[in-house]
Amino acid sequence: MFLTRSEYDRGVNTFSPEGRLFQVEYAIEAIKLGSTAIGVATSEGVVLAVEKRVTSPLLEPSSIQKVAEIDDHIGCAMSGLTADAKTLIDHARAETQSHRFSYNEPMPLESCTQSLCDLALQFGEDDDEGGGGGGMSRPFGVALLIAGWDADVGPVLYHTDPSGTYVKYRCMAIGSGSEGALTALQEHFKPEMTLAEAEVLALSTLKQVMEEKVTATNVDIAKVAPNYHLYSTDEVEGVIGRL
Amino acid sequence: MLPRPTTHSKALGPGVAGPELAVATSAVLDRPPQPTAQRPLSGAQAFSVDPSLVESADGPRQHTQYPYVTGTSVLAVKYAGGVMLACDTLGAYGSTKRYKSLERIIRVNARTAVAAGGEISDFQYITRLLEELATDDYRTDDGIELGPREVFSYLTRVMYNRRGKMDPLWNSLVVGGVEADGTVFLGTVGMIGTHYTDSHVATGFGAHLARPMFRERQSDDMSEADAEALLRDALRVCYYRDKQSINKFQVAKATGEGVAIGKPFALETKWDYKAFAAPTKWAIGAW
Amino acid sequence: MATLTAGVPKHAAGAAGIKQHASWSPYDDNGGTTLAVAGADYCIVAASMRMSTGYSIMTRRSSKILQLTDKCVIASAGFQADMKALHKMLQSRNVTYQHSHAKPMSCPATAQLLSNTLYHRRFFPLFTFNICAGLDDEGKGAVYTYDAIGSYERTGYSCQGSGKDLMQPVLDNQLKAASPLLIPARGDTVEIFVITKEGVRREELELKKD
Repeated sequence: MFLTRSEYDRGVNTFSPEGRLFQVEYAIEAIKLGSTAIGVATSEGVVLAVEKRVTSPLLEPSSIQKVAEIDDHIGCAMSGLTADAKTLIDHARAETQSHRFSYNEPMPLESCTQSLCDLALQFGEDDDEGGGGGGMSRPFGVALLIAGWDADVGPVLYHTDPSGTYVKYRCMAIGSGSEGALTALQEHFKPEMTLAEAEVLALSTLKQVMEEKVTATNVDIAKVAPNYHLYSTDEVEGVIGRL
Repeated sequence: MLPRPTTHSKALGPGVAGPELAVATSAVLDRPPQPTAQRPLSGAQAFSVDPSLVESADGPRQHTQYPYVTGTSVLAVKYAGGVMLACDTLGAYGSTKRYKSLERIIRVNARTAVAAGGEISDFQYITRLLEELATDDYRTDDGIELGPREVFSYLTRVMYNRRGKMDPLWNSLVVGGVEADGTVFLGTVGMIGTHYTDSHVATGFGAHLARPMFRERQSDDMSEADAEALLRDALRVCYYRDKQSINKFQVAKATGEGVAIGKPFALETKWDYKAFAAPTKWAIGAW
Repeated sequence: MATLTAGVPKHAAGAAGIKQHASWSPYDDNGGTTLAVAGADYCIVAASMRMSTGYSIMTRRSSKILQLTDKCVIASAGFQADMKALHKMLQSRNVTYQHSHAKPMSCPATAQLLSNTLYHRRFFPLFTFNICAGLDDEGKGAVYTYDAIGSYERTGYSCQGSGKDLMQPVLDNQLKAASPLLIPARGDTVEIFVITKEGVRREELELKKD
């Protein structure tokens, strides 16, 4: 009957005979086209380093946003369709603020991640199914590295993808250079690293997989230790100087 | 499938319309009035109000803000192996002794009995809720029966929810029974949802007249005969002093054997005290 | 006229505007006194067990304290039905929280939730006067005290309910100097919860059964 993949890759609610959801897999493919983002967790905090593709000298590099603050204690790096990430980040910001309102405490990182993945899964729901996802036509085409600091656990790093799966990592890379970056990270990552060493590891790994030369304008670095902080140009240059 | 009209539905609220209005088909509406208990052949049309009209009437609904036909105190004590409940059988319309054979104790299931004071029609509505609850529980056929604690908990929520809607069920309820493990249960809930469990309870006047006697004489391991004697004495005291009571009582017991609601009986009373014959004889200024 | 129409429904009564039938209030005051004292690494919470209405005692053994976790309890005086509804709600919110966040709700978090819950009912208040007490995230004793509509404050000690006018001056006087506690309590039995890092211990203190 249906023999080719193309007959199963239209609906987001139909498994192929091999048990695959092609639309979700295509969404994951979309991330492999995205810019590279790297996250490294140490006992002192989590570092996020991202590549910004400055495609034209006429472009204003500071307008490219690949890392975002979700709450004081949570930041996230994105790769893929970054417009989709906006929706996710807005949701996470509302959730973390709502948690602060209800309980006067920062939201646990896993709960925040879970809530993002709940949203990411709503592509499968009908318009009237409730859950607020009403009429999502496709999965989100973005992967996130969510870095945070839990009050009782310390630094945490999660990876989420369009399938709504989340996994905790000590070190992770997403985007076009992720394969090469992961190989490098596996080789050089040590759990007992300092935050400063993690900055260097993240940026040097990024440097290896980037086509351009690393400058203070085409990368962003952020840390959560224990609060989110986006590095200024001077701070980025400081890290570049230590490579 | 047509929705089954249940007593939880708005249309069936507290007794303004029967099930027919809830699913009004032309077959029902066009039929001439039938002679039933609710629709007498002679006189005016039976009391039947379209719930939607009640909703749209000027201002909030008023007719549930005070009781019409009321029952007085309910008394109950725990004893060895069970719980005993007692009350009279009067439904008073103001100070008129209007209905003299109302049974105010019901059996919910093999392990639970409920007795009520206050507005009788509200109690009849509660009776229907409990019948539905027990029927659904039976029909589930899982070998598990609701215990008195669960029935009590349910009733506390029903009473509290209605007071929250500013449309209370005007009752004090007493729930007694024996749990599956043999634990004896006795609790009471009032019209605004206040509730507690104790070794003995009494509602209304009984709280003032009977409970002091219970505090002196009741114990959880007393015999059934002693419990019945205590309740009869307490009923007599209540009857002497409560003008809204009559000398026709029922006693029910809930034990591991099940619920048994006794036949109505009268108590022997003594009115030939001099003070009863001339109550104002020694009162200065009396006439 | 008044005697004739007593007990007759309102619309049948002659004098317009005069209430001649039974009326009701959605609230009652069921009395009771609660108190909590925070220590450096412990917290003590106590509440009377009498439940009353007017001059009648409904029962001598009804608990006003809800233990939510190993580190947090809530003691409430006021209207018993509202208290039970509040306790049921907080209990269920606590279970939900543990399911979604994989940890018990902390005492400060419970305190904020309680405030929100009370304020949510600002225009049909829960007639309850609460103390939320336990250990905070650092293991220090914590006492939060509330009004019926959710204003709250963290204090070192607090008391609420019908006996607070008698008790507050004693607490003010005794707890600012090192001396043994003497509390002017009334009402059947006092239940006492002692919260330490080892957990929660419950004790009872018998009072006059008058």
